[in-house]
Amino acid sequence: MAESVPRLSMDDKRRFQEEALPLLDSLYAGALRMTRNPADAEDLVQETMLRAYRSFNRFEPGTNLKAWLFRILTNAYINVYRKRQREPQKVSQDDVEEFDLYQELKDHDPQFSATPETIVLDSLVDSDIIEAIDALPEQFRLAVILSDIEGFTYAEMAEIMDVPLGTVMSRLHRGRKALQKRLWDLAVERGIVKNVS
Amino acid sequence: MNCRETLEQAYLYLDGEGLSEQRRREIRAHLEDCVPCYERVGIEQEVTALLAKLRGCTACPDELRVRITSLIERF
Repeated sequence: MAESVPRLSMDDKRRFQEEALPLLDSLYAGALRMTRNPADAEDLVQETMLRAYRSFNRFEPGTNLKAWLFRILTNAYINVYRKRQREPQKVSQDDVEEFDLYQELKDHDPQFSATPETIVLDSLVDSDIIEAIDALPEQFRLAVILSDIEGFTYAEMAEIMDVPLGTVMSRLHRGRKALQKRLWDLAVERGIVKNVS
Repeated sequence: MNCRETLEQAYLYLDGEGLSEQRRREIRAHLEDCVPCYERVGIEQEVTALLAKLRGCTACPDELRVRITSLIERF
């Protein structure tokens, strides 16, 4: 069965090269956090760009190209890669709303004060943050990646994840709480926090 | 604007979403007066800032970029 591939006009092709290719870094970063695996991330990005190229004549010029590409990326991730991947799920989806990082820091960080930065969070390095994100259940991880790393608005996230606004807010809220719990657990593991009962 | 209301709307406030200018002013005023709320919201902001730091840190591998660019070129 021959796939009918609409041919892009020269203008569209040039526009794709000029506007979409520069977003490769962002797409790869997103793919890497989604798949947690560089080889899968590369496949996912390539798949995304080919799908995007083939349907670029349906992209409305002047609208948000990054959101449009991330929608294709997220869709491809959910439909193709997620099925293949093991979910380590170190953080359960229950209880997360009860976790109170502020209270934990107040109780256990002897130098906790009203300054913007805390010693505990300041002692965590980028690889700790990444490890914490990677441990999140997928729906939470996606929400946190799109909002807090990529900077999409709630409305853009609703489009990208193909869910209602309320679902975006719920997953983001719970995702952030789950992340905070994981960061706290890491701080305890690393001995950054002492006197924890 | 009390503590409960402020904390319920803390994420909307920090994310710049869904609140009127009036409401944002009220929350800001409460945070200026209430140390626990200020500290609590500060922690949320700090965690989000840790994530925002990751933005732009990962580059697309060169060979992937080359591969995609040439695939597009050939189409």
